[in-house]
Amino acid sequence: MSLDTAVVELITAAVRIATPLFFAALGGILSERAGAFGGVLASHLIGSSAAGLAASVAAGVLIALLVAVATVRFGADQMVTGLAVNILAVGLTSFLLRGFAARGEAAIVRVPVLSAWPVPGLADLPVLGPVLFRQPPLTYAAAALGVLVAIFLARTRAGLTLRTVGENPAAAFAVGVDPVRVRVAAVLACGALAGIGGAVLSLQQVGTFTDAMTNGRGYIALAAIIVGRWLPGGTLLGCLLFGAADALQLRVQSLRLPVSSYVIQMMPYVVALVVLAGLGRSARLPAALGVPFRRE
Amino acid sequence: MTAGALARSVVSGGAVARPLASAVVGIAVALGTAALLVLFSGRNPLVAYLALLGGAVGTPDRIAVALNKATPYLLTGAGVALCFRARIVNIGAEGQIALGGLAATWLALRLPHAPALVLPLLCALAGAAAGAAWGGLAALVRLKRRVHEVLVTLLLNFVGVLIVGEVLQGELGEPGAGFPQSPLLPSAAWLPKLVPGTDLHVGVLVAVAAVLVCQVVLWRTPFGFRLRVLGASEGAARYAGISFAHTTLLVMMLAGGLAGVAGAIEVLGVHYRLIEGFSHGFGFAAVSIALIGALSPLGVLPAALFFGFLESGALAMQRAVGVPTPLVSVIQGLTMIFVLAAMALSAARGRV
Amino acid sequence: MPEPARPPGAMLSMRGIVKSYGAVRANREIDLDVSAGAILGLLGENGSGKTTLMNVLYGLVRPDAGRATFKGRPLSLGSPRAAIEAGIGMIHQHFMLVPSMTVTENVMLGWAAAGSWLRAAAVAARVREASRVYGLELDPDAVVGDLPLGLQQRVEILKAVLRGADLLILDEPTSNLSPPEVGALLAVLRRLRDEGRSVIFISHKLGEVLDICDEVVVLRDGAVAGRRTVAGASRDDLARLMVGRDLTPPLARVAREPGDEVLVVADLHARDAAGVERLRGVSFSVRAGEIFAIAGVDGNGQAELAEVLGGMAVPTRGRVFVAGAELPAGVAARLDAGVAHVPADRASVGLVRDMTLADNVMLRDADRAPFCRRGWLDFAAAREAAQRGIEAFAIRAEGVETPVRALSGGNQQKVILARELGRRPRLLLAVQPTRGLDPGATRFVIDRVLALRDAGAAVLYISTELEEILAVADRVGVMYAGRLVGVVRPGGTDLTRVGLMMAGALEETPDAAALYGVKA
Repeated sequence: MSLDTAVVELITAAVRIATPLFFAALGGILSERAGAFGGVLASHLIGSSAAGLAASVAAGVLIALLVAVATVRFGADQMVTGLAVNILAVGLTSFLLRGFAARGEAAIVRVPVLSAWPVPGLADLPVLGPVLFRQPPLTYAAAALGVLVAIFLARTRAGLTLRTVGENPAAAFAVGVDPVRVRVAAVLACGALAGIGGAVLSLQQVGTFTDAMTNGRGYIALAAIIVGRWLPGGTLLGCLLFGAADALQLRVQSLRLPVSSYVIQMMPYVVALVVLAGLGRSARLPAALGVPFRRE
Repeated sequence: MTAGALARSVVSGGAVARPLASAVVGIAVALGTAALLVLFSGRNPLVAYLALLGGAVGTPDRIAVALNKATPYLLTGAGVALCFRARIVNIGAEGQIALGGLAATWLALRLPHAPALVLPLLCALAGAAAGAAWGGLAALVRLKRRVHEVLVTLLLNFVGVLIVGEVLQGELGEPGAGFPQSPLLPSAAWLPKLVPGTDLHVGVLVAVAAVLVCQVVLWRTPFGFRLRVLGASEGAARYAGISFAHTTLLVMMLAGGLAGVAGAIEVLGVHYRLIEGFSHGFGFAAVSIALIGALSPLGVLPAALFFGFLESGALAMQRAVGVPTPLVSVIQGLTMIFVLAAMALSAARGRV
Repeated sequence: MPEPARPPGAMLSMRGIVKSYGAVRANREIDLDVSAGAILGLLGENGSGKTTLMNVLYGLVRPDAGRATFKGRPLSLGSPRAAIEAGIGMIHQHFMLVPSMTVTENVMLGWAAAGSWLRAAAVAARVREASRVYGLELDPDAVVGDLPLGLQQRVEILKAVLRGADLLILDEPTSNLSPPEVGALLAVLRRLRDEGRSVIFISHKLGEVLDICDEVVVLRDGAVAGRRTVAGASRDDLARLMVGRDLTPPLARVAREPGDEVLVVADLHARDAAGVERLRGVSFSVRAGEIFAIAGVDGNGQAELAEVLGGMAVPTRGRVFVAGAELPAGVAARLDAGVAHVPADRASVGLVRDMTLADNVMLRDADRAPFCRRGWLDFAAAREAAQRGIEAFAIRAEGVETPVRALSGGNQQKVILARELGRRPRLLLAVQPTRGLDPGATRFVIDRVLALRDAGAAVLYISTELEEILAVADRVGVMYAGRLVGVVRPGGTDLTRVGLMMAGALEETPDAAALYGVKA
């Protein structure tokens, strides 16, 4: 395979792999910009258990509801609650998959994989064609959603309110906003989006559901958000970075690269750490992230 | 200190009764909810739980497996509980265990002819050092850059595990093996069995001893006092001359060191080699266990044993009744959630 | 620009406002009138009731009795929404802004007129226009966190004006401003007034009040002490109104010559947590066997002085000496040098509420004898010390293992006293030691402080309670704007002079004798 074909194929794969991440990360942005996190981890998992996008959204919202109630209403520690729900979700999905077969064996679920929808005309462009215009439908949806979320955050009053709740909930409260309601809504939206992310995995990539198939992607989405500094555009780059790393490490052999696949996989996390540590510019995490809001 | 005073101090650890009660209630509710799930899937929950119990404690072999599983939970849970006391959320056990196992493996492969009593000890110390360094690194980033330790330890988990994977591809790897793993460690490094004929190794003794030491440290030493003051009131801690930076660094290194020892024990006592992915899931389990144990090292004892027995009994439950093993994760997750909510509620009502 | 209302006569009328917090009567039958197009100064020391009155007006606090009329219509007192909708805007001392967002975004926050699809460009245009009209100098795209505090305050003012506020309440608005920023703020207020809007200017600073206000109302101890027009007011008159009271004579004490210098403070400068310089060169000393008190309204550098002397903050300049030796930074050095500290915040700094009496008694000394022996905590020693404290200080508690949160405020303060006086200090740093205490507990604290002084220790007593200070102290220094602006001796003190100093209207450079306690 010639180098440029390989590169194109690589980038295409990276975009494809980044898609579920991006859904989860978009959701994570919403809830983290509102100052709550954790929903993204678990919802991602549940979403993959269903045939049907709507079901995955519903499942994601349900899980997020659990997180929202525990953390925003009761003030339980957010990261820890997210972890708990994550553990629960892995177990629950596996359990449901097996619960109805004899002897606890896994049911075989097969769903036709959504194949690529090439955009007529544009799909034949060199390089950009396969990368941008010959992707499965949910990937297009991801891009569209990314734009929508960006507009929402930057250009609408609801988005401004959400960002304020994440930075200074007292200021929001002083103008009549209820930070608790905003955060709950954000966590639920996060669940929905992450649920779609899970659906991407099962409907678009693998065609079935297996135990723990999300394999920690929720946490990767969190890392992507850190790299992207809680902005949709930056997070897209973060997801692509992780997607590229994943795509690259699978192809280390065939591309005969001098670098080990583990080092490649490590790079995005190191980048995230560097971003967090603020080398370059001060890391702009939402100031009230992880801090429960209590009425004085 | 007399033995009697020591014993009293281990038990006296402050107001543990109420939070442990909420842990027990949490477990009960979780078991009940899980029972509903079992019912829903068309099986008898009572039979399932009995099978679970039998699989956990039915024979000495099963108990040995459960205790082995509980060992790393004890070590990491105690460390994370101490961090929680100072209001530091440390989820880095997975990376710390991985690097601890790595250090132990490296040393063991270097000194194959060392005496059988000394080598495991040295390897455990190496593991502790590696884990402490990784925990200390997270603390430094948190202190110098004012970044929440959850994010730092999360990322360092990934990096630590990947480092192990990388090293297993290279110098420590076993060529020709179908899976990334190190060569079998020299038998001099293996942990001796506690009960001959079973799988139970001495690691559980080390773990229990470590938990008791943590309890004593928390309640009987100035360092433990500083942890508790820091966790209770930052303003009072400043007034008392307690340095947030020093205390954070020390407790993270302590927790990292304990996790590192856990990693060494897993390598030296269970697998007898370094296997990629052996540290998976421990970071989060440690947090669950610390919480369920009411953030007290002494409370971590039953919590860790609970997790260990749950996991060991799960397979038997599946074979006997057909209830899938993931039910255990469900129970663990539900327990955590209920305990968290209960803790949050009681905190909101103004109690400890 | 919304047209300011022009009602005939009074813009605001408050009648018979009463508000009590338990036994404390914060507002006692207060009447207040503000004309349209006028700036009213509300003058008073800490505890005079100014903040409570304004919280009542703005709806943050419901009064026990009283009513108000605003722009000719009755005003419902009890929700900020009602106040905002009627046209009252409040600029708090601590701004409700989001530092990482721009001026425009902060203005749009919670403002329905900005639209669901944010009309950022339109709002930015209005920001620019208002900026021009009122001289606010605000750039709509500037990030608020990067702006100096003076400009941040103007964002708050802008928010109120754009939402149509006809009456603006400013609570101690110049506390965070540099002198040129103060001048600029006053200019902005004048332009607002000239448009027909009204301003209530809460302050303890005489100079500014006389500069900007048209009328002045002086509150003291929860009641109106006097009303004046600025034209007809003199500084002495206002100062007397602010602090004037019948003083009890100084409390009985052992007559003695002050001994050697125990605490020497040389040219101390310090910044607060936000980086603003609050201590601007303070020098004084306290001698053995005397009480040197620091009077002044909160916010003039006393908190920073206490933090530096207590070892919790590092000064930017200057040195501190105890018993002749320079004190290195940190709390441990103070404990070693025999310095005791009773902090202003008893519940969340002086004590750990969830810990027991015994634990709190060893709070600061857990790593030294007698509470730490050979590396282990000695609980028996802590319990003994706590028991001794209970007896010596008559602490009403069930036992040494009671959690401290179960104790009353007075008893909690006794625990702190037991701990701090129990170390037999050579210097006691007491900061607002009687705040929130009933008269019995107050008397107890004062008696113990006097006893310590009689026994030969040095005491630095920082408080906002002027009456208490004048009863307790041997010498009194007055702090204003981060400096000592005067030192007086109680007993025959001219209160007016003290009041003028506290209000920044009089600055006498104290001579060495006064500062360092040598009898002139």
